[in-house]
Amino acid sequence: MSCPKTPHILQEYLADDLTPLAKVEIDKHLLQCEHCSRELEVLMLTQSQLADWREERVPHWDRGTELFRREHRVSKESPSWFTTWQWMPTAASFAMLCLLILNTSVSVGNGGFSVSFGSPEGDLDAVLAAFELDQRAEIDSVIARFESRQDANNLQLMQAVMSQTQQATVENLDQIYAYFEEQRRQDMQLMSQGYQQLADSDYATVQSLQELAQFVSFQGAR
Amino acid sequence: MSPNDEDEALIAAALNGSAFAWEKLVKRYESKIYNHGLRLMGNSSDAMDLMQEVFLGVYRNLHRFRGDAKFSSWIFRIAHNKAVDLNRKKRLLAGYPVDSDNDGDVVDSLPDEEGSEPDLQLLQSEQNRNIMAMLNTLPFEQRLIVELKVFQSLTFEEIAEMQGISDNTAKTRFYTALRKLKSLTEEHHVLS
Repeated sequence: MSCPKTPHILQEYLADDLTPLAKVEIDKHLLQCEHCSRELEVLMLTQSQLADWREERVPHWDRGTELFRREHRVSKESPSWFTTWQWMPTAASFAMLCLLILNTSVSVGNGGFSVSFGSPEGDLDAVLAAFELDQRAEIDSVIARFESRQDANNLQLMQAVMSQTQQATVENLDQIYAYFEEQRRQDMQLMSQGYQQLADSDYATVQSLQELAQFVSFQGAR
Repeated sequence: MSPNDEDEALIAAALNGSAFAWEKLVKRYESKIYNHGLRLMGNSSDAMDLMQEVFLGVYRNLHRFRGDAKFSSWIFRIAHNKAVDLNRKKRLLAGYPVDSDNDGDVVDSLPDEEGSEPDLQLLQSEQNRNIMAMLNTLPFEQRLIVELKVFQSLTFEEIAEMQGISDNTAKTRFYTALRKLKSLTEEHHVLS
């Protein structure tokens, strides 16, 4: 069984600006009207079901810190030293890049310093080629000087070795000659002694033969 | 120190260039804004879009916050406006007419596009899934009223002022929305 007052009654009941008098009237109607009472109960139950929502965790996201810093840099309210000077590294990097691209060189002389852009010898390749040639010529010169000095050292060493070898050979020949001379002298002495002994032996033999001949002749005579 | 005082201290520090204060301020409200977005938009992706739009808006307008109202009220007002904008864009992209004063029969105004189905895979609890499924059957304007009344605990006067409607229209929309949700609940009980 429906009630024509239900929408009005429930809308007023759900309102948060309900006056005490209106609330008494509505409560009175709800006590008498089962339909409105049941409707209100279900609506309140539905509302409480919604209120059972559980907080979901936020997925990971970039909270925009960098965005904040970037935008705050241009903010007029509170400039700070960081926001004022944080462009310096970028500017310095850009300046260095420009100097590198323009091949800038700074030279200091008696008349002060001068700044020049680009290379006086032409482009970078030409400078590199000339530098390479210079380096090669210098290396060749060093190698030649080294070879010359090495040859001189070798020659001096060979001369010293030969001189020493020749001297040693002469000394060796002298020693051999002296050795042979000594051997010859010793041999002559031995031969002389041998001949003397042989002569002495011959003399003894002759003397014995003479004695034998005297004995024989004595015996024949008797 | 009350939460409101903490908010004001963080805002002042953020305006003075403290990124830490800004991040802390965001962390204080990101969960509330994200859940607000989930209930209003019906899926995690749109809720994230809404949350980021809200904080971008807060960031760009932080210097305009004078402290006359609570920061929480101010940020939820931004969230409300951003949600309305985002919903309008979605409907325009989907080819549906923008009808902001649809107080007719709930059944006739059921959203039937597939894109508004909640992203069930990303939700953490069965309870939240049910609530989102229920809310998703409501037209956006009614969903907004339910959100502001039930979850943000605003008065009908505040809701009416925020939405540029009368108090009675706000009450009617809320009542209509509850009736629709009630009928869904009853159908669910009958089917189960």
